[in-house]
Amino acid sequence: MTSSLRTEGLTKSFGGVTAVDGASIEVLPGKINGLIGPNGSGKTTFFNLVTGMIRADSGRVLYGDREITRYSPHRIAHAGLGRTFQLCRIFPRMTVMENMLVAVRRTRLRELLAGSHDKAEVERARHWLRRVGIDHLESAEGRNLSYGQQKLLELAAVFMGDPELVLLDEPAGGVNPALIERIVTLVRTLNEEGRTFLVVEHNMDMVMGMCDHVIVFDRGAPIAAGTPEVVRNDPRVLEAYLGV
Amino acid sequence: MRSGSRYGLLALGAALVIAYPWLAPNTYLLYAGVLTVMYAVLATSWNLLGGFTGYVSLGHSAFFGLGAYGTGLLVTKADWPWIPALLVSALVVAVFAGLVGVAAVRVRGASFVIVSIALVSMMNLLVQGWRSLTGGSTGLRVPTPFRELNRGESHLVFFYLFLVLLVLALLTWWVISRSRFGSGLKAIREDEDKAESLGVPTTAFKVVAYGLSALFVALAGGLYALWFRSLDPIFVFSILVGSYMVLMSLLGGVRHLFGPLLGALIVAPAGEYFLVALGESQIHLTATGVLLVLVVMFMPEGIIPAVAKLVRRFRPPEASIREETAEQRSKEAVA
Ligand SMILES: Nc1ncnc2c1ncn2[C@@H]1O[C@H](COP(=O)(O)OP(=O)(O)O)[C@@H](O)[C@H]1O
Ligand SMILES: [Mg+2]
Repeated sequence: MTSSLRTEGLTKSFGGVTAVDGASIEVLPGKINGLIGPNGSGKTTFFNLVTGMIRADSGRVLYGDREITRYSPHRIAHAGLGRTFQLCRIFPRMTVMENMLVAVRRTRLRELLAGSHDKAEVERARHWLRRVGIDHLESAEGRNLSYGQQKLLELAAVFMGDPELVLLDEPAGGVNPALIERIVTLVRTLNEEGRTFLVVEHNMDMVMGMCDHVIVFDRGAPIAAGTPEVVRNDPRVLEAYLGV
Repeated sequence: MRSGSRYGLLALGAALVIAYPWLAPNTYLLYAGVLTVMYAVLATSWNLLGGFTGYVSLGHSAFFGLGAYGTGLLVTKADWPWIPALLVSALVVAVFAGLVGVAAVRVRGASFVIVSIALVSMMNLLVQGWRSLTGGSTGLRVPTPFRELNRGESHLVFFYLFLVLLVLALLTWWVISRSRFGSGLKAIREDEDKAESLGVPTTAFKVVAYGLSALFVALAGGLYALWFRSLDPIFVFSILVGSYMVLMSLLGGVRHLFGPLLGALIVAPAGEYFLVALGESQIHLTATGVLLVLVVMFMPEGIIPAVAKLVRRFRPPEASIREETAEQRSKEAVA
């Protein structure tokens, strides 16, 4: 069983805007969790808080039996949390293979001074590139990939860190339908292999079709959580989305 | 370039450099050679931070000056032999740089440039202000470790000492560039937050790169003190020396092992030439600044990639070369 992620009263303001406002949620371990909500409801900020990219004003983040609120992002990555970014981020001037080999899991001196193109690591990288379907691009520079290919690369690189819990920020954003299908299948398979997902997504068909558990954000805090069925019929959710 | 001709070129270059002191027609040109190798060390060391991480330090002369004064003071005031004086002061400077680095590498981009300038200005003021120890603005005299040698012989010895340091700096760069550590540093240059999110301990990596870079610069500073025998705080802590390191590296190409070295081969003799032709003036700093801007605008990747591109344009693709030779070989076989 993988560890569970919980937050308690997580809060973050930017100037006058409270982007995340006392958010307490629980991510179900071993499941595909969805995080939905209107634009600007604080989903990305929530991801940034959980992964240590920005400091919370107050509240706590708990992962398994550890409190990781004040951890730096690389320690959170080492603890088993991986993430992608809303606007896909890769290393544009590095080759696809070099991109894959950046993920550092161990930081002992001998390992750091060892060659970066370690045979076993390269094989592992190829394995993940094959799984996302871009193994033929191994020696291309990141910047020469199409946007969709970059998204796949970003995803593959995250898995080089062997995360238990993967946070995806709009994986289907700006991607064509065929690719969305591929990403959905991939997430499903990876979940069956025991990885937990928390997916922010605007594409409702994708969320409702793929997720086991959906959390709905509005103005920086959860207003509903449950199965896609339950959430879809929740009056507060309808109100937040449709303004009725 | 195919690896055969690359190694050939490398061997030829190395042989020329090693033979230089014996080829130099007079003491002045030998002196200029020592200076050039010293700048090559400085630029290559600068590139351990600047090239890998993209953190542009204009104030690396702080570590040059500290290494020089540290060595000079240990030799003059504490009567230390020169080798321990050189090594110990460089190590202390590297540790100091690491501590400064913890604060300095928190800021990125232009802010980091400003912080690096502030550092060198502070060091300059400190050394000039602490007259009783450093001799203040009049400078510090350092005795030569090689009293039995004349000037020319002394230049020759220091030429090879700087050369050894250059080889060490190049080797360090090469080892890092192939390592996981180097892969993390390059990722920092491309997208620091992304690197961090993939598990790269970016702060620790940057601080180590900063300290390592400072270590080699300080070693060069120490050798400079022993070679030059008189330290002028205005020169050793100058923005000019710091900007030379940046200009040489950018001009040659920061992504290449030999980029900064190539930049030094061009900038150092040119700088010396203008110094002789025009005398000491502010023109140097201005010219260096203008050149920096031009390089950044028109050749941001440096000379090495620019030349490589040019060579590719004039050379037929590899495949057709191979076909040609195969054809010729069969003709020869028939004849
Ligand atoms: N770095 C920032 N500085 C200032 N305001 C921010 C910053 N990041 C997010 N915000 C604000 O916080 C709110 C939530 O944004 P975000 O987390 O991106 O929402 P979502 O991902 O749900 O669309 C928005 O009002 C946004 O403008
Ligand atoms: Mg968002």
